[in-house]
Amino acid sequence: MTAAADTLDREIDDLVKVARDYDARHEPITDLRWPEGVRIAVNFTADFDAMLLRRLLNEPPMQLAKGEFGGRVGIWRLIELFDTYGVKATFFTPGRICELYPDSLRAAARSGHEVADHMWEHHVPKDPALERDHLRKTMTALESVTGRRPYGTRSWHTQALLVEEGFLYNSHGHASHRPYYVWDAERRSRLLNIPFHYNIDDAMYYSFAWLGSSNPAQRISDTDRVEELWWNAFWQQYQQEGGYLNICLHPFVSGRALRIAMLERLIQRMKRLPGVWFPTCEEVARHCLANHPPRSAA
Amino acid sequence: MPWKQNYTISDEKSLADSEIRWPGGARCCFSVTVDLSVAAGPEGIRAADLTTGPAYFGMHEGLAGLRAVLARHGVRATFAVPAVMARIQADALRSLAAEGHEIAANGFRHEDVSGLDRAEEKARIERTGAIIAEVTGSRPVGWYSLPRQGDPFAVGTISPNTMDLLIEAGYEYMGNGLADDIPHWWVTDFATRRAILTMPYYYHFDDQWFLMFPSKGTGLEHADSLFRNWRAEFEAQYRRGRHFHMVLHPRHVGWAHRLQLLDEFLSHALRHPGVWNPTAAECVRHWKATYPKETHLQLSPSVWKDYPGSLS
Repeated sequence: MTAAADTLDREIDDLVKVARDYDARHEPITDLRWPEGVRIAVNFTADFDAMLLRRLLNEPPMQLAKGEFGGRVGIWRLIELFDTYGVKATFFTPGRICELYPDSLRAAARSGHEVADHMWEHHVPKDPALERDHLRKTMTALESVTGRRPYGTRSWHTQALLVEEGFLYNSHGHASHRPYYVWDAERRSRLLNIPFHYNIDDAMYYSFAWLGSSNPAQRISDTDRVEELWWNAFWQQYQQEGGYLNICLHPFVSGRALRIAMLERLIQRMKRLPGVWFPTCEEVARHCLANHPPRSAA
Repeated sequence: MPWKQNYTISDEKSLADSEIRWPGGARCCFSVTVDLSVAAGPEGIRAADLTTGPAYFGMHEGLAGLRAVLARHGVRATFAVPAVMARIQADALRSLAAEGHEIAANGFRHEDVSGLDRAEEKARIERTGAIIAEVTGSRPVGWYSLPRQGDPFAVGTISPNTMDLLIEAGYEYMGNGLADDIPHWWVTDFATRRAILTMPYYYHFDDQWFLMFPSKGTGLEHADSLFRNWRAEFEAQYRRGRHFHMVLHPRHVGWAHRLQLLDEFLSHALRHPGVWNPTAAECVRHWKATYPKETHLQLSPSVWKDYPGSLS
């Protein structure tokens, strides 16, 4: 073998090793089964950042007002909708929202919804001490309004820190359709991931200038179209054993009257079928941990 | 932070559906804004913006076609007009006002005011009001800052002073805000409860974001989506007894086959009993009489704390 070929092969070997390592960090749950009589678990999740992310990104006043709709109007409509249909939802909430919209969070908790972490101010500081400070601030803030500490998160928080602080799951990645366990890159910690995918995320269909998307790249859809896309996603999973769907909403987006009406139709269609379970993410996590625990050793 | 300043502009919770009352026991409010600007950039209308086919079309056939559809359904609208367009389309404005439509301001040249200093912005607001008054015979009571197609956000641009200057200039309402889907108070000073009533705007009911938009990239004609949005929002708001609002541009919706969609939508919506169709000013007067800020603006003091390493 020539020296050049040797170098080329080493390049390949390095990449193969990276891919294998990444593979080895993931533990999918291949035989997922829900409690007796349940075919599919549907998690309605809502990221309740209202105007916080817009503020963090220094967007102009009218953009903040667009987010404010989520706190004044949207969150209340979602709670009312879920309560009407016995749906238990998960509200991923930045800690700061407790200072802006405490009443809505109390109402969500009273109705049995889960209020989980979504970072203190929708970002994770680079400094580890400050990161821990932000996470703990959020835990304290959420507990002070809901009466219960959060066990779940949707965040970029360091996984080992989350595990250390007693979190049961992160709902962030989508390496699988179904919940899966994942090790961090340093193999320090393993955590359950409750996946959501951007194609079942309201912001991708309705939110103008989402994270700075430029005008030639806007995505503006109507509710008829989105209802059919999401219904198809549900139906595909419903036909499987151990189906799972996570519907990611934002109160400032889906709280608009036409979209609440669309979600209502979607829930009604789902509820016409037997075996559809609407738990919180925490319930899904506890079910997985108890019935499909991670492998005993790394 | 004395209040939730730089985060929120109004109180913590909107009115519930059950608290909303419209005149004469009407079920739902139906309001229409027509933007009489021509396509322009952030600097506002320039000579080049006035000498285009779409600008000409919007001022003539497009406007005439739109007026005919509105007239056929007896719909009254608020026309949001930049000062420069008030001069250019003076005759049209006078006849619109005579037909019972409202004429409101939409900037001096429909420019982005976010970078203007206070004195300059104040002068433009004053001059705009005066010019519209000269043309129509009465000062506008509403001010709009409607978004332009090229804006990075589909919400409209204001400066940190705009709302305060509008109150100072005696405006009764700001035409486009996004914090609610009914009229709501935009607070400029927590301590004195200084506030201006703001009418709701949302880009999914504004024709310009659906008709050959974006003009590049993924852009295409989405007239069908726009129509479905109007219908879905109207039905949802009618059921709730709240407020439906749409924004139209003669140069966009005025194109013949798109007008047909508007015509169909208006037929559908106005078949419903108990739809109240005021101008924005009439809606605002009803609102101020029914939900005055003295009794209905529920401002609670901030519990926000400043921490090192956190947003302030």
